[in-house]
Amino acid sequence: MKTLIVTIFLSFVTLTALGQDAKITGKITGEKNLPLNGANVVIEGTIDGATTDSTGYYEFETSKNGSQSLLFTDIDYNEKRQTVVIEAGKTIELNVQLKKGEVETEEIIVTASSFTSGQQSQVTITPLEIVRIPGSDGDLFRAITTFPGSNQVDEGSRITVRGGDANEVLTILDQASLYNPFIFDDDFNTSSYTTINPWGLRGINFSSGGFSAKFGNVLSAVLDLKSYEMPQGTGGFAWLGLANVGLSGVFLSNNKKFGATVDIGQTILEPYFKLNGYLTESYNPIPLARGIGGTLAYKPSTSSNIKFIFDYSDDKIGVRNTGPSFDGFFNSGSKTVFGNLKYSAGIGSSTYMSMGLSYSNHKDDVSYGVLNTVTYQLYSKYRLDFTHKLSGKVDINTGAEYEYNDDSFEGRVPQFSYNLRNDAPYFDINSRNHTGRVGVYAEAQIKLFKRFFLIPGVRTDYHTLSKKNVVDPRLSMGWKFAKNQIVRGAVGLYHQYPRLEYYAQTNNFELKPEQATHYILGYEYNLNEGLFLFRVEGYYKDYKNLVLRDQNNFLYNSTGKGFARGVDVFLKSSVTNKYSTWISYAYTDSKRMQYDAIKQSPANYDITHNLTFVASYNISDVITTGLTYRLSTGKPFTPITGGVFDSTYNVYEPMYADYNSGRFPTYHRMDVNFQYIFSLFGRFAIAVFQINNILGNKNLYDYTYSTDYKERKEIITTNKRQFYLGLGLQF
Amino acid sequence: MKKTLFTLLVLIIGFVQISNLYADDYTDAMLKAIKKMGEASDKNDKAALLKLRGDFERILQLKKNEWMVNYYLGSIDYMLSRSAAEEKNNDDVKKYTESAISLFDKCTDMKDDFADAYVMKMAAQGNRWQYEPAKMNDIIAKSTEAKDKAYKLEPENPRYYLIDGYMTFYTPESFGGGVDKAQTMFEKSWEYFKTYKPKDETYPNWGNDQAAGMVAMCYIKNDKMEDAKKWIDMANEVKPESNFIKGFVMPEYEKNKK
Repeated sequence: MKTLIVTIFLSFVTLTALGQDAKITGKITGEKNLPLNGANVVIEGTIDGATTDSTGYYEFETSKNGSQSLLFTDIDYNEKRQTVVIEAGKTIELNVQLKKGEVETEEIIVTASSFTSGQQSQVTITPLEIVRIPGSDGDLFRAITTFPGSNQVDEGSRITVRGGDANEVLTILDQASLYNPFIFDDDFNTSSYTTINPWGLRGINFSSGGFSAKFGNVLSAVLDLKSYEMPQGTGGFAWLGLANVGLSGVFLSNNKKFGATVDIGQTILEPYFKLNGYLTESYNPIPLARGIGGTLAYKPSTSSNIKFIFDYSDDKIGVRNTGPSFDGFFNSGSKTVFGNLKYSAGIGSSTYMSMGLSYSNHKDDVSYGVLNTVTYQLYSKYRLDFTHKLSGKVDINTGAEYEYNDDSFEGRVPQFSYNLRNDAPYFDINSRNHTGRVGVYAEAQIKLFKRFFLIPGVRTDYHTLSKKNVVDPRLSMGWKFAKNQIVRGAVGLYHQYPRLEYYAQTNNFELKPEQATHYILGYEYNLNEGLFLFRVEGYYKDYKNLVLRDQNNFLYNSTGKGFARGVDVFLKSSVTNKYSTWISYAYTDSKRMQYDAIKQSPANYDITHNLTFVASYNISDVITTGLTYRLSTGKPFTPITGGVFDSTYNVYEPMYADYNSGRFPTYHRMDVNFQYIFSLFGRFAIAVFQINNILGNKNLYDYTYSTDYKERKEIITTNKRQFYLGLGLQF
Repeated sequence: MKKTLFTLLVLIIGFVQISNLYADDYTDAMLKAIKKMGEASDKNDKAALLKLRGDFERILQLKKNEWMVNYYLGSIDYMLSRSAAEEKNNDDVKKYTESAISLFDKCTDMKDDFADAYVMKMAAQGNRWQYEPAKMNDIIAKSTEAKDKAYKLEPENPRYYLIDGYMTFYTPESFGGGVDKAQTMFEKSWEYFKTYKPKDETYPNWGNDQAAGMVAMCYIKNDKMEDAKKWIDMANEVKPESNFIKGFVMPEYEKNKK
């Protein structure tokens, strides 16, 4: 009996093995048909399957038969399904090759002339790198000036690009335009700082030309910033520095549906001035800036998000200035309020919509001698954007915006710019203008081939004050013609309506929008996602309709013109995790007939050679040191050749040489810093020590003259050798 | 009759056991894979881990998106990232760490009170140091978030103290780490293992020998060889022939003895 049971049992086992199972074998390969180790195959809905060995080979047996779907997967590749008919007892050999996703083409959709930061692999700079750049003082805008395309000669935070003024660069934060994200902003741009916190940003894209049709009313460059939809966690950060203190907090609810952040900061400059040997009697009041900002975010569903950003800052400063006609304190102060309400949502699986309503109000007052003015700038904008995935190869971006701008200017302006005495004759000005602008754009991102993309786009804008309409066609392309090698190019028309202060000085607001045609061609070699990056790019820009002062009636018209041409070179290498460095060099030749020029002259920021070297070295896991060195041609200026005595007002009138015909001496500066990460009260803490302008180079930002203009005196930048110490604590 | 009854009893008990063990293909496959995983991770056998990764992936065909499977898949990817780190293959460290993080995220999205997944998430987040040291703020924030969550859910989870201990052990003293601090964590882990009971057989039940082995390791670092030996024996007691002890702790012990 026992024997019988065993026999039956055994034969049953044998039967199953011989009679029912089919065998499936084969090879799984990936790119270039190389075998994949650890790839997986499975009959869907069952556990029957196998994992490949190091030769890519797999083999398994199954009792399933008939038509079955095999699923092939690998951690690096797209999954693949294949239907097979399995017959009991038979062996099927099936070799498959897996493909990588569309990622490769996504990567090269970075348009010409742009530098980005964010989560994607095409990163040229990270927030930590920004705060670590010596000399940038943790300021996002100053960090960006270490890239080519932007000229760094003025030492403040305003960015100037390829010869043009700072107002030709548009800063966008989550669709809202930021016109005054600065404290201590002045015409000389020597000590301004941006109020934008780099840690709150999920993406930074700086484009110095050839940018998308999304961006309107901007001539030269765009700094496109995207904030995190939701805070990344809950916690706080306190900063105690020699010149400033700050406190920030982030909160994220447990269900991750609600988030809030707050940032408060203030400058405390007395100790900093004392340490660095500033004469405190040169200031009255000592510069003071304060700011408070925050965000509120709510996620009603997984695919939608509502976010409100708020920011307030004010500052005041009084600095002793000895001019030819007046000696006293130059006083200025400003107040800026900014708010943006943004709603974004996915509509279906292939369309994404976002809209924003923003408001900003900036008040600026200035007094020096007889000069005493208050300026208000109000901007309000509504913007709507759609991104629609038409197919795997085509994305459509389209949208519209309406922007309202109201500027007012009131106060006393000297009748003669060279006579600023308290009793000098002046105009009492009270001027107020407003305009609206409507813009509409559409563009397509087309992946024509796997490694080739094309972005044709067009936008049109209408300006209600001047009743002028423009149409801007633009085209951008990228071709990854070999592994690690990309060619990018762009061509397009760009317009920017002059600021209202220029319209105020015209007949019937007859100013055309300033126009630039961009032509850009660049080459990039990018090894291992930016581990080694080399870029070279050439550009030519042709300007038309620039604002120019008529020398007869002193009103502005649109007959100015000009060009800019140059080459940018950028080399970045993170040799190891310990050492990283970049060098950027820009050659610029920018000539314009604009503002007060009477012939084609060097543009205000025509910096022929501009070289920046940045290096950072991790001495140990907790200590990092960095060095920045900048060298550039001096900025153009209009020299004064002498003075003519005006007996009516008992003052000398300066005689000017040709517009921008002089140049300041070569600019050079070296900055170093050290950062130490440690634990304080069991919390993450960071200490920063930096020395700006360690070599004590005397860089000029202006000249001043004696009363009769016979003697010229240099005005050295406030950035003498400076020590700074700060301590941050995360909690 | 007596014999028949006995046979019947055996059969019933056997059947009950079998039905428990092999209640369904899923549990069957899980138990097999978890057993293999213990062996593969002990030996730090990369090829076996890769094979096992496939086994778990196939189990997902039986129960789509099962959180527990994602936990084990994530754990394997974490181990693969550690072995890539030993080979100094930074691309693979990144690949497997990112995959592990996303798998642990998937796991906790479906089962947000599963402390062990948060424990592993904390470890995997810490791993990012190796390839993106520049994102340290984010790493610390996310690792701390996972740590806090794990502690809140299961303050007596022994693997919480084990992983916390590991991270402390490999962190320089000036940055809040150090051997002495780590040792108290490993000892705590060892204590909690004494009372730890996994909820069912598919729940994670690893690390007991590692806790004792790491206490021994701390003693070795402090040159207290007798104490170290005592803890090595204790580890071998809870898991005879532990490869963690044989392959990792003992060589260090022998080296230091000389």
